[in-house]
Amino acid sequence: MSDGMQGEERILDESHIVSVRKTTRDIATRLGFGLTDVTRIVTAASELARNIFHYAGTGVMRWRTLEESDRIGIELVFEDHGPGIASIEQVMQEGYSTSGGLGMGLPGTRRLMDEMEIKSQVGLGTTVTVKKWHRR
Amino acid sequence: MSDQRIAVIKLRDLLMVTMPSDPDDPTITALQDQVLQAMERYNPKGLVLDISAVESLDSFFARTIVETARMVALMGGQTVIAGMHPSVAITATQLGFTLGNVLTALDVDRALEILANPPQMKVRR
Repeated sequence: MSDGMQGEERILDESHIVSVRKTTRDIATRLGFGLTDVTRIVTAASELARNIFHYAGTGVMRWRTLEESDRIGIELVFEDHGPGIASIEQVMQEGYSTSGGLGMGLPGTRRLMDEMEIKSQVGLGTTVTVKKWHRR
Repeated sequence: MSDQRIAVIKLRDLLMVTMPSDPDDPTITALQDQVLQAMERYNPKGLVLDISAVESLDSFFARTIVETARMVALMGGQTVIAGMHPSVAITATQLGFTLGNVLTALDVDRALEILANPPQMKVRR
């Protein structure tokens, strides 16, 4: 595995949620993550891709591999130009949902990953960055 | 792309439903339709939902499974979810997904046992 691999998956319709899962499964497996971590990463990616599809309509997932002296990681950035999130604090509350039923999405996704950062501006869009690491 | 079809098979007085490994949303939505239609057609006493091929379960998929089990219950059937992988179980739990009172089994064999001898309501002594 060479260092600094990166790429992107556009999320334009429902079928791209499956593409996002396949891509993240492939990268995470190649990076040497164990099966449970691969499943966590794939599930988190599926949640975030679905959020884009449901709330923004379209967007993109950019991925890159991270290498540090003692650890290897994966970074996934989900970006859209949708309605944005008025209160990030609110969407990070357990059970909060504006679309009915997907309320476990963001707090649940946070638990599956090591790091999560949300940047959003109402009317401009949302960027969610998640990372997962494993020891070399 | 893997085979996305859901297999619904009538087996004696039961329905066996097998999910593909990485179903897209329309396939997951079709699960409900196909199961409920088969319930009406065959009037089985139970349903085994085999998810042993499933590699990841996000909130949409998980919610659809629980909803389907509730609908089957309304139609007089008992659902047993069989074969969830440990990695899927760990991930689904961390995501915050609960099965409610849907029965689960380690594999299809155990699921058939459960449906043959459904758990009775415990009488308090």
